[in-house]
Amino acid sequence: MEQPAIVFDRVWKKFNRAQRFNSLRDLVPAMVSGLVRRRRDDELHGKEFWALHDVSFEVRPGEALGIIGPNGAGKSTALKVLTRILRADRGASKVRGRVGALVEIAAGFHPDLTGRENVFMQGAIMGMRRAEILRKFDEIVDFAGVAEFIDTPVKRYSNGMNARLGFAVAAHLDPDVLLIDEVLSVGDLQFQEKCYERMKRFARSGIAIVFVSHNLSAISMLCDRVLVLRQGRVEALAPTHNAITVYATLVQDAKVAELSRHEVIVRMLDAHGARVSEVEAGAPITVRVTATRPPTGKFFHAELRVLHLESGTSVYRSTSRAAGAEPLMLQPGGAMEIVWSLTANLGRGHYGVSCAIVNEHAQWVAVSAPALLTVNERRSEQAVVHLDARCVVRALQPESAMRTCTEDEQSHLTRRALT
Amino acid sequence: MRAVTRDFQEMLSEQWEYRELLYQMTVRDLLVRYKQTIMGFGWAVFMPLVNTVLFSVIFTRVARLDTDVPYPLFAYTGLLFWNFFASSLRFAVISLSGNANLVTKIYFPREIFPFSAILVCLVDLAVGATILIALMIYYHVRPGPTLLVVPLLLLIQTLFTAGVGLLIAMANLFLRDIKYVFEMVLMIWMFATSVVYPVELVGGKLGTILTMNPMTPILDGYRATILRGELPAFGPLAIAAALAIVTMLVGWLVFHRAEYQFAEYA
Repeated sequence: MEQPAIVFDRVWKKFNRAQRFNSLRDLVPAMVSGLVRRRRDDELHGKEFWALHDVSFEVRPGEALGIIGPNGAGKSTALKVLTRILRADRGASKVRGRVGALVEIAAGFHPDLTGRENVFMQGAIMGMRRAEILRKFDEIVDFAGVAEFIDTPVKRYSNGMNARLGFAVAAHLDPDVLLIDEVLSVGDLQFQEKCYERMKRFARSGIAIVFVSHNLSAISMLCDRVLVLRQGRVEALAPTHNAITVYATLVQDAKVAELSRHEVIVRMLDAHGARVSEVEAGAPITVRVTATRPPTGKFFHAELRVLHLESGTSVYRSTSRAAGAEPLMLQPGGAMEIVWSLTANLGRGHYGVSCAIVNEHAQWVAVSAPALLTVNERRSEQAVVHLDARCVVRALQPESAMRTCTEDEQSHLTRRALT
Repeated sequence: MRAVTRDFQEMLSEQWEYRELLYQMTVRDLLVRYKQTIMGFGWAVFMPLVNTVLFSVIFTRVARLDTDVPYPLFAYTGLLFWNFFASSLRFAVISLSGNANLVTKIYFPREIFPFSAILVCLVDLAVGATILIALMIYYHVRPGPTLLVVPLLLLIQTLFTAGVGLLIAMANLFLRDIKYVFEMVLMIWMFATSVVYPVELVGGKLGTILTMNPMTPILDGYRATILRGELPAFGPLAIAAALAIVTMLVGWLVFHRAEYQFAEYA
């Protein structure tokens, strides 16, 4: 087994909620303690809190680890500890080899300098040698698509151009370990595609990657495993799909924390009545929900929700009443079953299927944990819904043009599509 | 002690690893200044020159001051090298707080900020030195072989400047008032140093205190070696050199050990 390239070993990091220092009385002891380096002050004082609370993970060469979690979960803090910008209060963070960080990629740019001058500056900040930058210069400019403006001061650049040039420099690093913090929200779609391609190439080249993002589709595209953080604690460290489910639960949790979700259980069944979590697009599925009687209310109906995990958007919501089932009166101690039949006309991706119980006052009184549904579909490039498209291509004339391509041409096309 | 040795090894190897960044950062600051101002490097000459004229009027017309070299030459030499010290520190003190976006986002040895501030001012010094040469020609002052000592003086001054620069850059990050306090300190410091008059003239108890100022033997050293062709007074200069080395070592070590906290205060 190869040595891990990144070891994050039981890391704790505290932050202070209060103003930095209210008086010289606080400042002087803090500065003095900073000088005595090896003794760490690792207890909480005053308004301090743990931004990272006993977080551990390892990443091996060739592996990509995603870090997701709600805002303020400690994702960026973890990354800053990895890049040595912050130091852990307890535990240790070790990174082997040359580190490339795609963090705030245009941070070193000076508005008055030209694109060319800034490329050298930014490259040096990221630890590239001048000779290396010179060698890759054309490639970088080409990647950013700013060739005609390269000798213009960057203050005349658009935000997009700025970010693209910044990313381009970072993308031409040659690191052993790559740390990426939510940088792909820059540029237009075409550029984002290019960035993903670049990152995938990084991933395939056998380096270790840590990727922090809110974009679940990017995470699931790139990462093998995902660390889910909440309020500085590890909620899960699992293969991507499982971790995404945990995350979906978290997101929902935040909304309906007070609802006792364990009383509602969702099961998904295929056409033969067997439990499934993965279906082909367009397949029929049955969602069977059992629920004990919630504490408040008398008449109950159910609401089904399907959440697209990659984007976090709700793609479907419907109530049992809208689907034609009357509300049910339940005696205390009773239980109910709701059975939905539906067709998975969904695009390829991961979905969270959950069910809420609603009383006669339209209050949510109970909600299930989302069940993970993976939809497979191979015919589309990108899809939100399953349109079941089929296609025929034929030449109209002349008659001689009507031939299918040879095997050679076929493989050439496939190769081009892959690169 | 072992820990200190290890820290210094770490500090030096980091500086070596990031030497190109130090170069780029210096080039950046020079380019920016050249682009943002019409006079560019002219300012490096202009400031000490205006001050020289000003003090020449005061100390040759208002209050006559006897100096063994023509006064403008005395004043310009003092102001030129003092300016290297003072403007290095003016840039250094804001070098961390002014680059907060870099300090909080990307890791590299933070010493690079104050160091590059000093290098930029070293370039200014070189530009300003052309006027010194012109003045020397005008006053028929012929430099002797003692000119060879100047690099040593420059080294002592740079070490001292770097030590102070590291400390105040760090302090200003933790407490933003430092910048204003230091501006005042610099003004007082200038008149406590033999910049525009020989500070020995102060005399009395205050004069005794002022002899501890390491900048005076350094500036006197420049005048002795460049203008008079003499070797600098060994005793005071040796003390100043020792102080410069200690300031640099302590300043750098403290800076390095506090470095991990910078991102939280920037």
